Amino acid sequence: MKNYIRVLSGMGLAFAIGASVQAQTAAPAKPAPAWKQGMPASMATSTLAPLPGKLVATKAADVPIDRIKLPPGFKVEVWADQIPGGRAITEGDNGKYYVGTRALGRIYEVTDNGKERTSRVFVDKLKQPTAAYKDGSLYVVAIDKVLRFDNVANNPNPTPVDMTAEFKLPPLPHHNWKYVAFGPDGKLYVPFGAPCNICVEPTTEYSQLRRYNPDGSGMEVVATGIRNTVGFDWHPVTKELWFSNHGRDWLGDNTPNDTMNILKANANYGFPFCHQGNIADPDVTKPNACAGVEQPVALMGPHAAAMGVEFYTGDMFPAEYKNVAFNARKGSWNRTSKIGFDVVAVKADNDGKNAKVEPFMSGFMNPADQTFWGRPAYLHQMKDGSMLVSDEQNGVIYRVSYSK
Amino acid sequence: MRLLSFIKVAVWLGVSMLVTPAAHAQTTPQRVALCASCHGADGNATLNGMPSLAAQPALFLETQLVLIREGIREIPSMAGMLNGFTDAELTAIAAYYADKPLAAVPKDLDPVLFARGGELAQGMRCGICHLPTYLGRDQIPRLAGQREDFLLHSLLQFRNGEASGRDSNMTAAVYGVSDDDLKAMSYFLSRVPAQ
Repeated sequence: MKNYIRVLSGMGLAFAIGASVQAQTAAPAKPAPAWKQGMPASMATSTLAPLPGKLVATKAADVPIDRIKLPPGFKVEVWADQIPGGRAITEGDNGKYYVGTRALGRIYEVTDNGKERTSRVFVDKLKQPTAAYKDGSLYVVAIDKVLRFDNVANNPNPTPVDMTAEFKLPPLPHHNWKYVAFGPDGKLYVPFGAPCNICVEPTTEYSQLRRYNPDGSGMEVVATGIRNTVGFDWHPVTKELWFSNHGRDWLGDNTPNDTMNILKANANYGFPFCHQGNIADPDVTKPNACAGVEQPVALMGPHAAAMGVEFYTGDMFPAEYKNVAFNARKGSWNRTSKIGFDVVAVKADNDGKNAKVEPFMSGFMNPADQTFWGRPAYLHQMKDGSMLVSDEQNGVIYRVSYSK
Repeated sequence: MRLLSFIKVAVWLGVSMLVTPAAHAQTTPQRVALCASCHGADGNATLNGMPSLAAQPALFLETQLVLIREGIREIPSMAGMLNGFTDAELTAIAAYYADKPLAAVPKDLDPVLFARGGELAQGMRCGICHLPTYLGRDQIPRLAGQREDFLLHSLLQFRNGEASGRDSNMTAAVYGVSDDDLKAMSYFLSRVPAQ
């Protein structure tokens, strides 16, 4: 940790402390808040701050669903409610779905009997847990813990197998909340975000994507230089992993963009020196900062908070959506004019070329008065081809369906 | 801690004598009777180390009440005290205290320490999130007029990485800051009038 401070204090962060104050203090230059590091002096009087979340339950009847906009032929309903802070959704067996959270520390179990949903807290008191499902077992990954619950479809209260030691999780909490999923290779993919807004990482355990065997063995770092990916999925044709990545804060309203990327073997995605493949960082510098950095498939909007990624493989939606990557953008805070708060469709060739980002689901934010009421975070395609969308702000899950 | 345990037991006894039916039958004023013995009947705490809840942003109070109930924010003297409270009850308690006016700030003033604390708070840019008035907003607490001892306790928790369940942004904000600086900021903020 001491090295961490040295790295940060060596990064021109003296502006974080007024010069006169610094002269009076014995301590060395102090790091700014993780999300404030690298903030230019021009933003000293900014009052941009992370947006308020909501940790108490919202009933379906209180969701202003009429404000949601979708292309013609699509409709939306509240599929599950009263699951505060619900984020990533993983589908189990027997109509059971598992939903992670951040601050609340819960994994919910939502049971669908085909007509209605009931939900309960499956496990709680964890640090920002998320879950993935494989072969009857639920893998719960928190910042400091990995637990496996076996036979969850039939056993409502299984005793977990604690696999924490196997996974060698780094300790710093910031940007260490996760999305996890099993790939077509049967491995569990786990991201480890940068523990700051912008910094040289204190150790080599951060800003990377790893994969593990389901028992935690065989850990491999599959990509580096990833600031914070909390959403990915595998292309249905190429089987390549596409992931969203959050760009840094405090570099102005329009830079850098969040990105959509394809995982290439041993690729570097630029953090902390290079953003969106072509912007050299002004605070953490090196010559030719963007040389050799893997280029993104698409720019997803500055500070837009590009979260869950889901390729559409169903037959319910029109053919133009087949094999298209949907992306939930939770919405910006570090921008004077809000963007995101929607779900977009990233239409591209199978190799990622010629990508276009098109609106799909919006209406959660009012550009005119800058208010927002919902924040789409994660997506999950159901077996019938409809799409679930979690709204972390309201703790509800929507179901988007289509009929001609 | 012994004192706190005693208070906790005393409060529980008091409440259980006051209200015989199930806890769920309690109204918000009855609920807040539980809070009052430590946080003050009007939300202005007079006990050492206790935070005033009066005039805090309602969403901040609601969020913290939920995290304390869940055991995510661990406060030994409050462990279990919110068990069984529904979300709606916590929302009501939060609204109740958010509406209470804050008592006047302490009258004594060491101008040198006050000025130093003010400079530190400004230099560390507390006002970006907590607002330049330090009144807080939404999920972000009011610092102005909070009890000095509680501010220091809380800042030390963040600085020492002991602020369980709370925002990692704030942990990073005071990482490595000296005790003296935290004391000066606590002195200053506790004497900034809330209005």
